[in-house]
Amino acid sequence: MAELTNARLWMMRFSFVGLSAAVIFFYLLPLQTAPRSWAGPDMIIALAFAWALRRPEYVPVLSVAVVMLLADLMLQRPPGLLALLVVLGVENLKSRALGLREAPFLAEWSVVALVLIAITLMNRLILGILVVQQAPLGLSILQTVVTLMFYPVVVLLSRFVLGVRKAAPGDARAMGRNI
Amino acid sequence: MGVILLCLLGIFLVWRIDSPRVERFRAQVTDAIVPNFEWAMTPVTGAANLIRNFQSYQRLAEQNRELRSELRQMQAWKEAALQLEQENARLLDLNKVRLDPRLTYITGVVLADSGSPFRQSVLLNVGARDGIMDGWAAMDGIGLVGRISGVGNNTARVILLTDATSRIPAIIQPSGQVAMISGDNTAVPPVEFLESPELVRPGDRVISSGDGGVFPAGLLIGQVAADPGGRLRVRLAADYERLKFLRVLRHHGTEVVTDPGHIIAPVTPHTGTTAEAESPDG
Repeated sequence: MAELTNARLWMMRFSFVGLSAAVIFFYLLPLQTAPRSWAGPDMIIALAFAWALRRPEYVPVLSVAVVMLLADLMLQRPPGLLALLVVLGVENLKSRALGLREAPFLAEWSVVALVLIAITLMNRLILGILVVQQAPLGLSILQTVVTLMFYPVVVLLSRFVLGVRKAAPGDARAMGRNI
Repeated sequence: MGVILLCLLGIFLVWRIDSPRVERFRAQVTDAIVPNFEWAMTPVTGAANLIRNFQSYQRLAEQNRELRSELRQMQAWKEAALQLEQENARLLDLNKVRLDPRLTYITGVVLADSGSPFRQSVLLNVGARDGIMDGWAAMDGIGLVGRISGVGNNTARVILLTDATSRIPAIIQPSGQVAMISGDNTAVPPVEFLESPELVRPGDRVISSGDGGVFPAGLLIGQVAADPGGRLRVRLAADYERLKFLRVLRHHGTEVVTDPGHIIAPVTPHTGTTAEAESPDG
């Protein structure tokens, strides 16, 4: 039993990295080279948040940091900043995960919204302080909103396709936090 | 945890302080990763484009009619163009005009785009291996698309004219006004730093001026257009919807005339230097 859960734990950790890599891959496809007036959701952040609230052990700090740093590098963002903020956000959500286990989805969604908006604001604030060229404000707001709208979709997909659901009270021993 | 956060913060600060070094690192990372996915990217892109084209297949008959009428117009233009081409060739011949022989190009295929709605750039499959250097111009068949910024061994990134960081010195014909085409993340970048905007009319041609010596001169950028607010913008000549093959123009710097010019004096046979130079022979 312990071996099985251990294998599953590592499989899910790798599937987080793999899914994120797939998301980056799809972002990079040269489908749209003309500037667009809309922004797609940031699926990596949505995925990391959804999993952090359900199974914190699937998204360890290191893998979130590495994935986000890679995304920063590949997607032409200032490297490190968004990764730093997302790692902080994910850790914050992990610390709230226990309290939100029994809460309805709406409560979870609003907490996620709060963290995501905080990340966006901090990102813009720090870039503004350091006088870095910024993305248009409208587009950033749009991306935040769209990411939030896609959050339930990510949650449903992770639940029904990948089986990432909130830990029931009796699960803690079976899932083996202490490896 | 703390170590990771410090690392990320460190990377960001280093990037802020010493951007070129980190951007080189970024180019290397991209160079190492993206070409490996080329086998997957090409078919997926093709499939996605196929799906996108499907709705245009649905109104095929209508499009066919439009195309036929356009073709008729084009034939008239083609006739005119052929005549002009011949005339131009004759005139160039008469004038003994020497076109810049060093303006050769390398053609690359677009591998990936920037992946983010906030940045406008594409990644080409040619790089330092093919002699690509930062600052060279990239064109599609017709107009300027952008400039090379970031070269890996096998890949090079082209910052498009529409990117918010793109600034290209341009000249507007026929008035000869000098301006800056500065991208702002829209499809039609604005024309800035015009000395007398009243001399510029919508429809004027915008070509690169080569000021500053880092960018080749005389490349077609597009046409001036006025937006509803009255601001002058450039409707780009290159087809940004479908960037697939890009030409990267080799550019070896604009030559500068440093010689102020001397007085041309008649040759005097009995100067000291010529006597000394000739004495060993004689």
